[in-house]
Amino acid sequence: MMNQGGVSDTRTTLDQKVSLEHTVDPSHAQAPSYYAPPPGSEPASWASYNHAQHTEPGPPGSVPQASAGAVSSSGATNIEYANYAAYPNNDPYGYGNTNYSNYYGSYQQQPNQAYPQQQQPSQTQAYGQPTGAYQSTGAPHQPISSFQNAGSYAGPASYSSTTYYNPGDYQTSSGGYPSANYNNSQTNTWNQGSYANYAHQYPSYTAESNGAYNAQSAPAPAPAPATSVQYQQDYKQWTDYYSQTEVTCAPGTENVASTSASNLVPAGYSAPNSQQVSTVQPSAPVNNVHEGYWKQEGQAFQNYNVSSNMQSNFQKPLDLYPASGSFQNQQKPEVPQQPYVPYAAASHQVTQTYHPSLPLPPPPPPPQTAAPFNSAQVNNVQIPTNPRISSNLPVSLPKNNNTTIGVTKPAYISVSLPKTNDNASSHAAAAADSSLKPGMLPKSLRGYVERALARCRDDKQMSACQDILKEVITKASTDGTLATRDWDTEPLFPLPNTDLINNDATTPSPMKNRRSPSRRTKSRWEPLPEDKPVEKQMSFTPNNVKYGGLVHSNERDKQVSTARPENKENKFSNLKFYIGNQKETNKAGLRPAKRQHVGDGRIGLNNGDSDSDSDKEQQSLTAYYAGAIALADTPEERRRRESRSKRFEKNHGNRAASNFAKTKNVGGNLYTRRASASLLANSNSLDEGPASRAVEDIDWDSLTVKGTCQEIEKRYLRLTSAPDPATVRPEEVLEKALRFVQDSPKNYLYKCDQLKSIRQDLTVQRIRNELTVKVYETHARLAIEVGDLSEYNQCQSQLQTLYAEGIKGQDMEFSAYNLLCVILHSNNNRDLLSAMSRLSVEARKDTGVKHALAVRAAVTSGNYVSFFKLYKNAPNLNTCLMDLYVEKMRYAAVKCMTRSCRPTLPVSYVAQVLGFQSADSSDEKGTGGLEECTEWLKAHGACLATDGSGEMMLDAKASMASLFMPEPDDAVSHGDASLAVNDFLTRSLS
Amino acid sequence: MASHMSMGEAHRRITEYLNRFVDVISYQDGTSLKNLLYLSSESPSFLALADALNIFQDANRVIKQADKYSQYAEIVAPLFRAMQSYRVGHLVESYQAFEKSANAFIQEFRNWESAWALEALYVVVYEIRILAEKADRELASNGKTPEKLKAAGSFLMKVFGVLAGKGPKRVGALYVTCQLFKVYFKLGTVHLCRSVIRSIETARIFDFEEFPVRDKVTYMYYTGRLEVLNENFPAADHKLSYALKHCDPQSEANIRMILKYLVPVKLSIGILPKKSLLEKYNLVEYSDIVLAMRRGDLRLLRHALEQHEDRFLRSGVYLVLEKLELQVYQRLVKKIYIIQKQKDPSKAHQIKLEMIVKALKWLQMEMDLDEVECIMSILIYKNLVKGYFAHKSKVAVLSKQDPFPKLNGKPINA
Repeated sequence: MMNQGGVSDTRTTLDQKVSLEHTVDPSHAQAPSYYAPPPGSEPASWASYNHAQHTEPGPPGSVPQASAGAVSSSGATNIEYANYAAYPNNDPYGYGNTNYSNYYGSYQQQPNQAYPQQQQPSQTQAYGQPTGAYQSTGAPHQPISSFQNAGSYAGPASYSSTTYYNPGDYQTSSGGYPSANYNNSQTNTWNQGSYANYAHQYPSYTAESNGAYNAQSAPAPAPAPATSVQYQQDYKQWTDYYSQTEVTCAPGTENVASTSASNLVPAGYSAPNSQQVSTVQPSAPVNNVHEGYWKQEGQAFQNYNVSSNMQSNFQKPLDLYPASGSFQNQQKPEVPQQPYVPYAAASHQVTQTYHPSLPLPPPPPPPQTAAPFNSAQVNNVQIPTNPRISSNLPVSLPKNNNTTIGVTKPAYISVSLPKTNDNASSHAAAAADSSLKPGMLPKSLRGYVERALARCRDDKQMSACQDILKEVITKASTDGTLATRDWDTEPLFPLPNTDLINNDATTPSPMKNRRSPSRRTKSRWEPLPEDKPVEKQMSFTPNNVKYGGLVHSNERDKQVSTARPENKENKFSNLKFYIGNQKETNKAGLRPAKRQHVGDGRIGLNNGDSDSDSDKEQQSLTAYYAGAIALADTPEERRRRESRSKRFEKNHGNRAASNFAKTKNVGGNLYTRRASASLLANSNSLDEGPASRAVEDIDWDSLTVKGTCQEIEKRYLRLTSAPDPATVRPEEVLEKALRFVQDSPKNYLYKCDQLKSIRQDLTVQRIRNELTVKVYETHARLAIEVGDLSEYNQCQSQLQTLYAEGIKGQDMEFSAYNLLCVILHSNNNRDLLSAMSRLSVEARKDTGVKHALAVRAAVTSGNYVSFFKLYKNAPNLNTCLMDLYVEKMRYAAVKCMTRSCRPTLPVSYVAQVLGFQSADSSDEKGTGGLEECTEWLKAHGACLATDGSGEMMLDAKASMASLFMPEPDDAVSHGDASLAVNDFLTRSLS
Repeated sequence: MASHMSMGEAHRRITEYLNRFVDVISYQDGTSLKNLLYLSSESPSFLALADALNIFQDANRVIKQADKYSQYAEIVAPLFRAMQSYRVGHLVESYQAFEKSANAFIQEFRNWESAWALEALYVVVYEIRILAEKADRELASNGKTPEKLKAAGSFLMKVFGVLAGKGPKRVGALYVTCQLFKVYFKLGTVHLCRSVIRSIETARIFDFEEFPVRDKVTYMYYTGRLEVLNENFPAADHKLSYALKHCDPQSEANIRMILKYLVPVKLSIGILPKKSLLEKYNLVEYSDIVLAMRRGDLRLLRHALEQHEDRFLRSGVYLVLEKLELQVYQRLVKKIYIIQKQKDPSKAHQIKLEMIVKALKWLQMEMDLDEVECIMSILIYKNLVKGYFAHKSKVAVLSKQDPFPKLNGKPINA
């Protein structure tokens, strides 16, 4: 999933090409800024950024490329990502395109791509304010706090070292992820703080949003459409998010950076909104809760880093995102900037840089890393790294909020802004963000989040939404799909039901995290629920929300840690997550409305066990961790990590393909699904251990369709895409359809077609019961009657597995058919032996089976007399199967007789022995059969003569040499008469 | 489990093993290396090492400590894991780890110019198969799909590829082939044997006789079985006889396995074994069949087949034995002929169908004239009886000269 997501993102970006970075599209101004803020902004600034990246921190904003136009131009320039920083400066609020400039020095490389796009639009507008807030860890002060995004990226860098992002993943996503860049630049960029620009970008975002987004990634648009107002709201939320995120970043410097980046972004957004901004910043200080979050999260992050579990990180972000599906970009951090474009660009760069940064990339540590998970440990880690940051974090965040105020503020500065109502939501968001790694949030994800939040009518709803988002992102990050998912196309989840949320406020997140595929109770393909997102009322209080968020984060950590151990042991836990996430994503994508249901169900389920489970797991894991920690840094470990990261590379092709598909069909959930399926398959082949288990753990139920079609008749059409419930008949209808077919006077071709469509409907709905058996039996019998062996074989093999599952049917009858088929038509001794040895004692007593065994004996010994006796007295449809062998048997018999008998044989005898029989059995001598036999003998080259009494005799000796097997009349050169053109035409006409 | 072992002791054992491992490779001591890899031998030293590994959890660190160990880390580290899992009965994990180790070993083996490590490779190949079988049993008992043996099959194909070229290592190819046969026969994917056989039999670079005897015997045994399935009796006879001839007379179990297939093959070409042979190798399930053939007793034959049907179906000789029916008919007709000859030599060559029907009735085999005529026709057609059948008079007229030709080692005409 991650990959996919990543891929898709990249793809989108790619398509635009340039876009990557810029995907950003102008609107995202930010992005542009990254790149180089072109013209307007001064390339120089960019350059400086690049170089200095870090150094410049503060300034970032300075560069301001100012106008969007400029930006666009910058896009053209491509080259200079470095500038990103620039943006921020310019306009703090102003959004104006300009700001971009500084952002990321790192971007520079990108050159080609995206820029142009960026330019487009408007990007600028929103940007306006640079959030100074960014704390790049490195250069905390740099005003550009906005940069944080960059920081966030950088964060990734840091991550890389930590494993944070799996390098592999990034690579795959390549385009997508800026993270790579981050890695490279990592600290530097971040530190610089130049980021501030980001904030600006965001602002622009709103403004531009629609247009720009669209341009970049179609998917993204969703948010765009939203009116600016929405954006603002979103922004607010974001701000909070960001602020929070920043905090997190702060804790682990590196991480911090990334986080900060994320924060910044939001800040930027908020800035535009002004309100938000303020709120955001304050949040840290204001809410203890938040802090708690941060800390926790921070820990989590650190842990992540340590563990290098990219996935985990991703997941978190994802959770948030899902909501925001709109975000194309994977990277969360950027989200804020959203400038989509920039991000994309960033991602490109990232990837590039990434490689270079090798060190960072160390493949995510194996499960062992789990150790980091322990919050305690984590804490320690963090502390060492950025003690200050952690404390500062809150502060820095505030800055972001301030965006409106001043972009350039040092990250450290702690602005204590009072939170507004909005803040509550923002908090939640922030919490979610915090869980996400800072650097990780894709722009698209942000967009997604914005979109999701934009729908909310009131605070309660908002907070509920945020919770959901958090979960989604967490999940995604756990999956590792955070970066790879195509948030732009991700369907929004249904608006949460506030009541439910209240109840579950504290528990939901853990549960969600834990969700494994098997938890899914509903099919993705089920009919859409009717609910409308906005309908629900939320009764949440901000506090609750926050609380929930905290809890979540805690839980998450626990879970993560638990998961790790599993990984070690099972290796597949990751995969599971992956799958789970994917499914969720898909689900969400397919039916946004559904999500709610699912979520509710889960919550209910989870409440009971999640806590205790995680606790237990933790305990049991403790020992494990100790060992794991020791191992974590060993060369072997490292190697393992590397190989693990490579695993994702391998997938790259696929993912790319799937992404492609996605981009092409924005609305096409089918593709997504398929892609995920293929991914699953692929992952299996790649990693034996995990994969195999993972496959077993796939919840195929969730892939099942539930039909709604009421038509009884339906033509068979081989599916080339996922089934559409509207054209699939539910079981009751299928039963009617079966009866209808059975009673139908029409020909076999019609019935075959109908039965195949029934079978298909059964298959896609995974109905395996007596009805299924009946359908296959009916079809098999029909096929036997007309001698359609290939169709019969399909049915027979299905029936065998169905019977083996204990589903009742005429299994004796069909094991007799099976025997006959093997004997008469496959002529494979081993198959025959195994078919015979499988027969149970009871089966041997069955008339049909006995008959079949007798036929076998007759055939192997060449006893034609016995064969035709059995032919006459065959039970069931055994006759029909034998029919197909009669010709061969007769020919062999005549050959044998002509060889052994002298001088002549009466044809009447031959007719009698070889089963030539007129239809009217009353005819004593079977004269009808006699004629037929005469014809047959003549056709096979026998010499016939009439003796004195007038009886037709077969001259044995003369016939010996002249016998031949005539070509069947209906023979066709390609061997299958049913493929004849004429036949085909008649069929299609019928 | 070995809780008496101290950490220091565990560490000592591990280092000792590693040292030996490294030394043995540097001395190119194949036999000793073999012993170091012989996991399922469950020798005391192995068990102790496994215990040591379980106590001293972090063997990887030890491996990494010294360059001389770490150069073989890819072999040893998973090997250690395999031992640990094996010791605690986690066979699936053990297999997986061992396969990793084996893969690394093959890489090394490829780089060794001479074939000194062939014995060690044999052990690895053997272990792979044995572990896979055990792992599959574990999987099956957990209700999961047994798939490790299949994986082992593809791994062995890889090993075969390493050996099958020119050069001194080629001698080992037959061993791997035999292990592959065992895997495929167990899996029931016998058709996969074909490609391996082709490369062994068509490659002229190497004389078959130069392979080790034990491998040749095993190879001939399995290919002989394949020929039995194909009902290619002369070839089956040749291969199985070769196996019998070269098989170590001491290993009676192996001889019995060979005879299990060779006896039906010989029967099919008209050669009956002595009773003592069947008794010596405990092949009594064939004794009634042999007796029926001697006597022309159709009933006894059918009874014997029915009695041991499961066994014959499983070993795959059922269809072969069933086809002996024609020889039993031949014997029956011959007996009638002999009796007639004693009564009236001039008319002995004319056998009325009714006589045969009556004889069958005595055997409680109810058959009508048509059916018996059919059987006579088939006997004549297949050249088990010389002569012709006069339909009008319902009499089989036998040739005066050698009316019942013996098969003499030739199969019945198709």
